Amino acid sequence: MSQPASSRNGIADIPAGQLRTRAEEAASVLPPLLVQAQQLAGAVLLGEHGRRRSGVGDDFWQYRPVQQGDSRRMIDHRRSARGDQQFVREREWQIAQTVHLWVDQGQSMRFASDTNLPRKIDRARLLSLAAAVLMIRGGERVGLTGGQLPPRRGNMQVLRMAQHFTDDDDTPYAPPEHRALIPHARALFVSDFLGPFEELEIALTKAADRGLRGVLLQVLDPSEEQFPFAGRTRFEGPGNGVTHETLKASALRERYLERLAERRDALERLCRAAGWTLGLHHTGDSAQSGLLWLYHALERRQ
Amino acid sequence: MTMIAGIGFASPWLLLGLLVLPILWLLLRAIPPAPKRQPFPAVTLLLGLKDDESLSDRTPWWLLLLRMLAVAAAIIGLSGPVLNPVQEHGGSGPLLIVMDSGWGGAPNWEQNRAQIEAELSEAGRAGRPVAMLRLTAPEPLQFLAAAQWTRQLAGMTPAPWVAAPAQVATALDVISETDGGFDTLWLSDGVEMQGRSDLVTALAERGEIDVYESGAPVIGLLPATYEDGLIVLHAARSTAGLAQEATVQALGPDPSGTERALASATLEFDAAAHHTEAQLALPMELRVRISRFEILNTRSAGAVSLTDDRLRRREVALISAQSSDEGLALLSPLHYLRQALEPTAELLEGALSDLLPANPDVVVLADVARLAPAQEKALIDWVDQGGLLLRFAGPRLAASDTARDTEEPLMPVRLRIGGRSIGGAMSWGEPKALAPFGEGSPFYGLEIPQEVTVSSQVMAQPDPELASRVVAELSDGTPLVTRKPLGQGQVILFHVTANAEWSTLPLSGLFVEMLERLAVSSAAKPPVAADLEGTTWQAAEVLDGFGRLTDADTLAGVAGPDLVDAPSGPELQPGLYTSGSRAYARNVLREGDDVLPTSWPASVPVMTYEGADERPLGGLLLGAALVMLALDIAAALLVSGLWSPARTAAIFLMSGLMLGVPQEMLAQPATTPTDLTAELTLAHVLTGDAKTDRITSEGLQGLSNVLTLRTSIEPAPPYGVDLETDELAFFPFLYWPVTEGQPLPSSNAYAKLNAYLRTGGMILFDTRDADLAQAGATSNAARRLQQLALPLDIPPLEPLPADHVLTRAFYLLQDFPGRHPRGQIWVEAAPEDAEQVEGLPFRNLNDGVTPVVIGGNDWAAAWAVDQDNAPLYPVGRGFAGERQRELARRFGVNLLMHVLTGNYKSDQVHVPALLDRLGQ
Repeated sequence: MSQPASSRNGIADIPAGQLRTRAEEAASVLPPLLVQAQQLAGAVLLGEHGRRRSGVGDDFWQYRPVQQGDSRRMIDHRRSARGDQQFVREREWQIAQTVHLWVDQGQSMRFASDTNLPRKIDRARLLSLAAAVLMIRGGERVGLTGGQLPPRRGNMQVLRMAQHFTDDDDTPYAPPEHRALIPHARALFVSDFLGPFEELEIALTKAADRGLRGVLLQVLDPSEEQFPFAGRTRFEGPGNGVTHETLKASALRERYLERLAERRDALERLCRAAGWTLGLHHTGDSAQSGLLWLYHALERRQ
Repeated sequence: MTMIAGIGFASPWLLLGLLVLPILWLLLRAIPPAPKRQPFPAVTLLLGLKDDESLSDRTPWWLLLLRMLAVAAAIIGLSGPVLNPVQEHGGSGPLLIVMDSGWGGAPNWEQNRAQIEAELSEAGRAGRPVAMLRLTAPEPLQFLAAAQWTRQLAGMTPAPWVAAPAQVATALDVISETDGGFDTLWLSDGVEMQGRSDLVTALAERGEIDVYESGAPVIGLLPATYEDGLIVLHAARSTAGLAQEATVQALGPDPSGTERALASATLEFDAAAHHTEAQLALPMELRVRISRFEILNTRSAGAVSLTDDRLRRREVALISAQSSDEGLALLSPLHYLRQALEPTAELLEGALSDLLPANPDVVVLADVARLAPAQEKALIDWVDQGGLLLRFAGPRLAASDTARDTEEPLMPVRLRIGGRSIGGAMSWGEPKALAPFGEGSPFYGLEIPQEVTVSSQVMAQPDPELASRVVAELSDGTPLVTRKPLGQGQVILFHVTANAEWSTLPLSGLFVEMLERLAVSSAAKPPVAADLEGTTWQAAEVLDGFGRLTDADTLAGVAGPDLVDAPSGPELQPGLYTSGSRAYARNVLREGDDVLPTSWPASVPVMTYEGADERPLGGLLLGAALVMLALDIAAALLVSGLWSPARTAAIFLMSGLMLGVPQEMLAQPATTPTDLTAELTLAHVLTGDAKTDRITSEGLQGLSNVLTLRTSIEPAPPYGVDLETDELAFFPFLYWPVTEGQPLPSSNAYAKLNAYLRTGGMILFDTRDADLAQAGATSNAARRLQQLALPLDIPPLEPLPADHVLTRAFYLLQDFPGRHPRGQIWVEAAPEDAEQVEGLPFRNLNDGVTPVVIGGNDWAAAWAVDQDNAPLYPVGRGFAGERQRELARRFGVNLLMHVLTGNYKSDQVHVPALLDRLGQ
């Protein structure tokens, strides 16, 4: 099952023996993530249905009297036989949306301030995959941005996506991938958005140009929100690239929080301009709440 | 060397470095801690933020204190501190060395001598003339070169007494005779003597006095006493202050005559006590053998207490001819004897034939005229061997014809018929008094009370020998007590009765004293001088200062009163004195003596020898400084957050686990005998080659798995046996892989192996080289096997015959491959008379399991499995190889079956006979 995913991942030139061990290694990671995502998704599905409009679909929506222009074939004879009037059975409108996912795999995401907390990247993957599971169950086509995994439907896609999520990226702050976006699709970008702001601006502008709408989900560690440091501290960015040393960390707190709020305002403005929705999730909170918010956000403004 | 607070410093000016400490305090305080490293992805938001204020955190006070202590320890350590530094006392001019030289100093004699030698060599270096004065044997002072005294020093020994006033007076004379001034060095024993202050005064006039004294309490053993059936040991010590224990041994000859410790007791001094007691309950037989008590490990005459008659209670057999009559107790011939002897002797009463085998010390015959011939002969033999026969006269003896005409062996003199009666109602004359005892008499010196009179007696026939046999006579010259030696013993006759019928002698104290003098009874109390009036005592053995007994043949005799009263000295040396058959122990300490500590005037400095040991403290302090600096490194890292103890502990834990894992895999779970014997355990000999041992262990594990799976044998995990230390009896089977480099076991291990083989154990020797050579041929391992097996008790061997029980113990096998196929296997040879039974494929072999199986097929490697039960080492090729491995396993099963069930499979030879008996 993981075989095709691996080969598509560009490691087909690896000898078969190694490929198999790598595949098994990768597969060993998958089940927990998949299971968690499925469980999470299963909790959300309760009570949520359809598009609430008549359309092409399998589920019954309503009977309506035959109108001008309706084909005779459309008449539901079982219903019409009960009276004189003829009815047409309408089905709920079910349309396959295309959803692009982008999850930041960069080093900045591999951070947890406490051993009891999940890393940001783990939470981001879990939420994205769970959302993908939900959307695939809803009939949408889900894929990754950048042409790595073109949007498809079916449960296989979940597996492939999970496979892709096992690959880490060594970039300290990964820029959003904005290539191979299908116009008028929907998008979900999950990251901490702590990297360069311009890259995000470019990506979002490009997506808006193509008529995409979507959701930015910012996943932050509680320590990044609260800044609970004191004393002489040397802050080290991901990949040992950026460092900042201070003699009194507690004095930086106010100004740091200010900057964080500024960054969020900027994100908010950008989203409003592009017609996107901005969400915030802390790894300290439950994944359930994050997924619910995400689900509603993706549902909104269809 | 400068002294500060009892500690000397080699270079005290270095201590000024301690003044730097306050400056260090200020310097160390202001250093900020190292930054904490914090990974933080949101660092991008922090870039460009400036610190408002520069905060320099302060070093924690405990770290500061640690550093200060380290530096202080280093400074003090470098300044060369010395505990108990030697203070050289200079001085010039003549030097007098005074030694107490009594028994109290004997335990420290070597120290004393070393001290004197050191002083002598120092005096020699300074060119001072030296004189020596031993207070126990004062001689005129001679100021000589120190080297001469050094030569004489070896010959000096302590005396077994403390200087008596006479000797102190001599010493004072000697000092006053010497002109000029001199310094004095006094080596004291720690025991006070009379006149010490006079000596100190006399010596202080001439120069300075230095005193050396060990300071340890001097323990002395007082004479043991006998009270209420217990021996009571008394001891005294010079100084109290500490609780102290000493073991006292009672020494004496054992039945074979060798001297050994017969009993021991512990003397416990309470902290404040100067005296203590210990009690010793011993049976009579042991008690009489004790010759002396000694305090263990104390070489001193004062720690020895000799014993004499006083501890002995003689066994006295009382025999009278009269049948006992309760109504006439006071008339009984034995009544007064009983009264006299009871406190001090063990009395035996009964028939003579019953009492003689008990070998009493004394037999008393009260008015017994005749004995049966057999009894008489036994009695003569007994006296011959040293017994004392004490006879009393009486009406029967007077009336009988005993010793009328001839002198009988058991009668000192011949007797006249009838005896005589004087001073009675029917006779003339007054009752006779006793004449004073003559000088040769054992009673010489005893005072005769006026009231002792004799009214009747048996008379001796005049004889040439009569005069020499009389030891006491009446005022008219007739004998009262006669004595005759017989063999090693003697026969004594009292010519009166033992009761008050014929004389008043038994009513007086003289009677008891006479019995004592005759050694019939032993005195319960130590004699006072008056008791020994008129006796002369000869020293048999004397003590030297160290408490050793030496012969004293050349010493002059001592008068009895002196022996008790006079102080010890050259003329009266402590030791064992004898007079006739009596013995008196003159001990260093007499009853009621005390061991007094020395008292020195305050002006005289007293030093101890122990103080001479210097202890440099520099190394200790520098070491402490190093340790503290190491702690400081750890603490500094901890404070700056660069090091976390938890992480280090985790690393150590991890490495410990890593090390622990292979050991777990090697499976040595059972180590106690209980574990090893709870289950059947397959064992292999540890060769010292780790790889071989591992393979063997894995092989036996594999075999164990096979056995568990296929048979009812379910072995515990295999055990590696160290031949030198492990007990082999727990293992029915030993696998012994032979390696070239294996060391030969010790003879002890070979003894164990032979016992193992004899008691039914089996060893499988595997040379593991069947691919190279046949077993028994000359491969390296085979040669080693020959060397290894040479001291083993191995029966004749033969190549495994086709009908051996190993071929059918569980599986039917004809081939026994291991990793190598078809190596020759040797087992114990079948007896020559083994015959093939008609109609059966195998011979009728003897019982028993072959003690050794020798081969080279490397079975362990074929059996070896890993934890998942997968084979570890390749065997053969392909399917044939797997078949070979299977056969190897089957061989293992057969072998273990053979080991555990013996050769009951061989019993099938009897099947035809059994069937025949059943009538089939």
